[in-house]
Amino acid sequence: MARLDDEGQWIVMMGFLVAVSIFFLALIINQATLVGQTTAEGVLEFPKSEIRDLQSEVYTIVENGDGDSSALREDIRALELARKNTIVNYSAALETKSGIAYDKTTIHFNNGVTTYDETVYLR
Amino acid sequence: MVDDSAQLYTMEGIAAAFVILATVYLVAGTTSIYTPGDSHITDMQLEVLGNDVLLVMDTPTEEAEESNLAHYLGTWNTTDFRSEFGGLLNDTYTGSDTLRFAAFVSYNTTGGTINTTSFGSDGGKTGYEQMVRVTKLVTIPNKPAGAGTPPVDFRNVPQVVMAEVLIWRG
Repeated sequence: MARLDDEGQWIVMMGFLVAVSIFFLALIINQATLVGQTTAEGVLEFPKSEIRDLQSEVYTIVENGDGDSSALREDIRALELARKNTIVNYSAALETKSGIAYDKTTIHFNNGVTTYDETVYLR
Repeated sequence: MVDDSAQLYTMEGIAAAFVILATVYLVAGTTSIYTPGDSHITDMQLEVLGNDVLLVMDTPTEEAEESNLAHYLGTWNTTDFRSEFGGLLNDTYTGSDTLRFAAFVSYNTTGGTINTTSFGSDGGKTGYEQMVRVTKLVTIPNKPAGAGTPPVDFRNVPQVVMAEVLIWRG
């Protein structure tokens, strides 16, 4: 019967250390894909195009001097509600700052997930 | 007699086996499998592309000029809309893509309800396509006229309509 050989314990311990470190690296890689996907989805699910579309349309309307047109506002509100399930509103009021007349424009956007409000002075 | 020498080797082997098992489990779990539930990732790509095309078409080439999209809607020109939208959508560096689309216009009718009407498409639908919808608000000066005839319940006043396009990979 062979005697229990206790030589080379260091080598065995280092082997374990390497194994454990590989284990933790694998743990990090395991999380990386999940974190990457959820972050990317979070960014893409933000209604960027919808908000920009509303913004550009409202800016154009206000800059053309039709900011107080209730007909155009009702069109936008009804279309966004019926076709995009989104509640939107905007308003434009004349306001003078430092002697310059601006259209103080507020935009409200709420699609049930994202709420967005902005106030901008247009001239 | 049971030989009880080299017990340490046995324990070591068991410990090593557990480490290997846990690592293999983790590595195997890292690979992500593309399932039908993940198709919204490619859908998002299509959405970005479609929104970009609509944005390009709604950008006037010169200041204070009407954009192409507003012009097509204002004259109800489905033919030119179809060719420009399809061209921009399928333009690639090498050759052309195989994306299909169907366009619609939503408008506030004389009766005060929202109606949606077809505005040209470039292919038949089977109903099984994975589609995405992109939209754009457009202001038009009055009831569309010129190249085509819009539905009769279009109001003849300055109004905002919504261009909607369904896009899918053909």
